[in-house]
Amino acid sequence: MRVLYLLVSLLASALALFGEDAAGPVITVRKGTSIVVETKEIGGATGATASNVMKNDIQLSGALSSGDASAATIVVTGSAAGSSFSAQATEKTGGVVLQKSYSGDTRRGVHQFVDDLVETLTGQKGIALSKVAFVSDRSGHKEIYTCDYDGANVSQLTHDGAISVGPALSPDGRRLAYTGYQSGYADIYLIELASGSRNRIIKFPGTNSGAAFSPDGAHIACTLSKDGNPEIYVTGISGDSPRRLTHTRGVESSPTWSPNGSEIIYSSDEKGSPQLYRISSAGGAGRLLSTGFGYNTQPNWSPDGKRVTFNVRSGGGFQVATMDLESGVTRIAIDEGESPSWGPDSRHIIFSRTSGLYLFDTVTGKETRLVGDLGRISEPTWSH
Amino acid sequence: MKKIFSFILVLTLSLTACQKQQKQEYAGVEGDTVNGTPLPPRQEGVSFFGNNVAKQQFQPIYFAFDSFEISPPEAGKLRQIAGFMKGARNNVILAGFTDERGTPEYNRGLGERRAQAARNFLLSLGVSSARIQTVSFGQEMPADAGHNDSAWAKNRRVETGVVR
Repeated sequence: MRVLYLLVSLLASALALFGEDAAGPVITVRKGTSIVVETKEIGGATGATASNVMKNDIQLSGALSSGDASAATIVVTGSAAGSSFSAQATEKTGGVVLQKSYSGDTRRGVHQFVDDLVETLTGQKGIALSKVAFVSDRSGHKEIYTCDYDGANVSQLTHDGAISVGPALSPDGRRLAYTGYQSGYADIYLIELASGSRNRIIKFPGTNSGAAFSPDGAHIACTLSKDGNPEIYVTGISGDSPRRLTHTRGVESSPTWSPNGSEIIYSSDEKGSPQLYRISSAGGAGRLLSTGFGYNTQPNWSPDGKRVTFNVRSGGGFQVATMDLESGVTRIAIDEGESPSWGPDSRHIIFSRTSGLYLFDTVTGKETRLVGDLGRISEPTWSH
Repeated sequence: MKKIFSFILVLTLSLTACQKQQKQEYAGVEGDTVNGTPLPPRQEGVSFFGNNVAKQQFQPIYFAFDSFEISPPEAGKLRQIAGFMKGARNNVILAGFTDERGTPEYNRGLGERRAQAARNFLLSLGVSSARIQTVSFGQEMPADAGHNDSAWAKNRRVETGVVR
């Protein structure tokens, strides 16, 4: 049904593009083609907010774009009462594509609707409901902050007054792990976001850092130095039963999991400068991923498993690169940026720059600043 | 002559250390060739920030960019620390730092590797592994807040905290 709809809508756009003269079903779908959506003014007590959030979500989704009646193939109408939001998406021709009601906060309801619309129209996961965590030094100390994917609802999560860095969100967005120095050493803490309860889960001698949740949320990969060298380990969700994965003389850092949890990509300088390696999460030997660059750090595996994004360094600054794991082709996606992290759609990347937190669309190349004026922002992480 | 003698001494000690390590080499994982000396449990109530830790007693040990090699001039500072530790009962905390020219998590690893390199050197001089803790602050807490070569050179360091 979805496929059929997609075909029809592509055909419709193609006809619109070529006019009535189009001979036969010759459809050229360009990469970056988006489905144009017209949002009618949303009524109700919080209708104005809903309209703004809706238009912004559509624009940021990449898969959809806002347009007026002449260009749109989909029309959205809705009503926002403050504690509930309902909306309907119809084709220009009149068929209902999606009709749904959501209880709770208007902003959240709209995000949910846009994610549902993206999934209905394209079969891809949306990003509008996802959460982001990052580090800011605004308070005078590095602390962990969270916000929505669009930069709204920025909130300071930790108040440690020490150094709190390296946040990681669990795939379901309910937990956050980070590296904190309250003890005077680097330990890994786990916060349950709903209750705010916090536990110091990994506190071995030496430095414990760089936590990354496995896709099923049951394990943590991290860097521990307890055995005399910074190496990659996998532990249980409470930091229990650490299992060592790497055995080198160099520095291993920033583990990131494949979507099925069977493999891990990490950065290691065992051959002199940091390079990316791929290893089975059951153990074994790490296999070099040649990128063509001399400095490769902060890898992050896309949720669809196809690409890894990471930092490379040249000319004194950091660039964000992506590598297609099947072809091995690496390209620079962003000329200046740090700590890239894929969104749930495996299309967008969130990254930091001295001036703020940014969203980047790898298909269109469009860049949007989400948070600025909040001290120095670093190490963003994105829930899936 | 004295220099040559001490060089041979260090060499012998390092070889002894290597042999020792080989005995405890990790087994059962393909591709494994290395196993360091595990760190001892942390000492309760003691950290690099504690009032009971003297941080100015010894000169920082400096490193080249993106390196954790102990260069010959820096090795002299570690020999001084080893000499002190042989004549005293104090434990030490080695804290590793990097300059700002790296990504944060890699820098935390690199700082730790520097602290471990300093530790390994002390172990090779006969200091007991039970007396040394390590910690890395990565690029945090720079010794010099500048953004130039001379600041960066001062920030790539290992500081020694002596537990009183």
